[in-house]
Amino acid sequence: MENHLIHIDIEKLMHTANGPMKLTVKTEIGSGELVALFGPSGAGKTTLLRILSGLTDPDKGVVKFGDTVWYDSEKKINLPSQQRNIGFMFQDYALFPNMTVEENILFAQTVKDAKAASELISIFGLNELRKRKPSKLSGGQKQRVALARALARKPQLLLLDEPLSALDAEMRVMLQDEIRHAHELLGTTTIMVSHDLNEVFRLASHVVMIENGEIKKTGKPETVFSDNTISGKVQITGQIARIERQDPINIVTVISGSNQIIKVIAFDSDLENLKLGDQVMVYTKAFNPIISKLG
Amino acid sequence: MNKLPAIISSIQQSGTILLVDAEVEGQGFSALLIESVSRLEWLEVGKSIDLVFKETEVSLARNLQGQISMRNRMKCNVLKVHKGELLSTITLKFKSFTLVSAITTRSINNLKLEIGDEVDALVKANEVSLMKTPQAGIK
Repeated sequence: MENHLIHIDIEKLMHTANGPMKLTVKTEIGSGELVALFGPSGAGKTTLLRILSGLTDPDKGVVKFGDTVWYDSEKKINLPSQQRNIGFMFQDYALFPNMTVEENILFAQTVKDAKAASELISIFGLNELRKRKPSKLSGGQKQRVALARALARKPQLLLLDEPLSALDAEMRVMLQDEIRHAHELLGTTTIMVSHDLNEVFRLASHVVMIENGEIKKTGKPETVFSDNTISGKVQITGQIARIERQDPINIVTVISGSNQIIKVIAFDSDLENLKLGDQVMVYTKAFNPIISKLG
Repeated sequence: MNKLPAIISSIQQSGTILLVDAEVEGQGFSALLIESVSRLEWLEVGKSIDLVFKETEVSLARNLQGQISMRNRMKCNVLKVHKGELLSTITLKFKSFTLVSAITTRSINNLKLEIGDEVDALVKANEVSLMKTPQAGIK
């Protein structure tokens, strides 16, 4: 596999619901990484994906894929989307309504290869649906077709914007495995927007955390989501799933990155800046937990 | 959680175990820690840190006599008592700080705690975490 380091150094003024915001991204992404773009809505994650795909132009900067310059504002280079050898799936993706599932996938291939199309169809569990038109598919089925189609052209870079958002939990976990499988099989670099911490931990080799148009942290998931400002050695990151009041305390249920359910007692002062759905860190000292063998 | 600003006065180490002493307005505290893979850069004698411990780890004693192993002992006054069915919280004044202890309602009743009462709040050294003090001007 060739080495295609992706070099990104761009600026773009965005107009968000909260007024203008400047997206400033300077980073490098290693070849073959599965990168999660993580952060709140409106932080600029989708815009960054669109800039990489060539669908949106930055105000200025450089985007390079290995030695190939995709975008350079000073040199006035802007390689069109079709020439970037990318596969993408955005939230507003559309399948061709007049084509069957199979035809949609075949159409996306740059080199027609019925065997490869057939493989993708079975990887994504679409065998029974191959002759159906998109109007006869559920939201989740359409998402799977769109994902298979994004992979059909054997892209060197796969861009996914919350690819599994319309799926139920079981299908989500299954397709997470398929995305990883396809990612490894094709040796592509994959950049995926995700709001789901579990998904990030399951899939990503590298996380880019974006807030208010700026990169806040980058690194391995366990580094990005751990906290070195506290001495506690047992640190679990997760999302608040429930808060129950039981006077004078609160019982907070946290679902961890590895899908473990944890309950923590919190006092009112702890909850001042916490709410349902927040990403949190649960920590304790190495002295407290008791360890025992399973089974 | 309870948080007390402190200054590290000494660090003793044996293998990977650290015993950190810190002062809060002149009173000594101890925290027992396990060393990190990479030593936390803010863990140094003279640095300002926060001592952090959970409300449920704060024991209370009245007219405490004799010897006791607990190193972190705070003379407090009761500011507020909030009784729940089984568990209660007591808000305490320690020097210029406010602490909270959560103990069983049964224990509060046994101790007959009232507002203004003087109590000793006790925390084991291994229940105390250290936290880097957030610094002004750092994003």
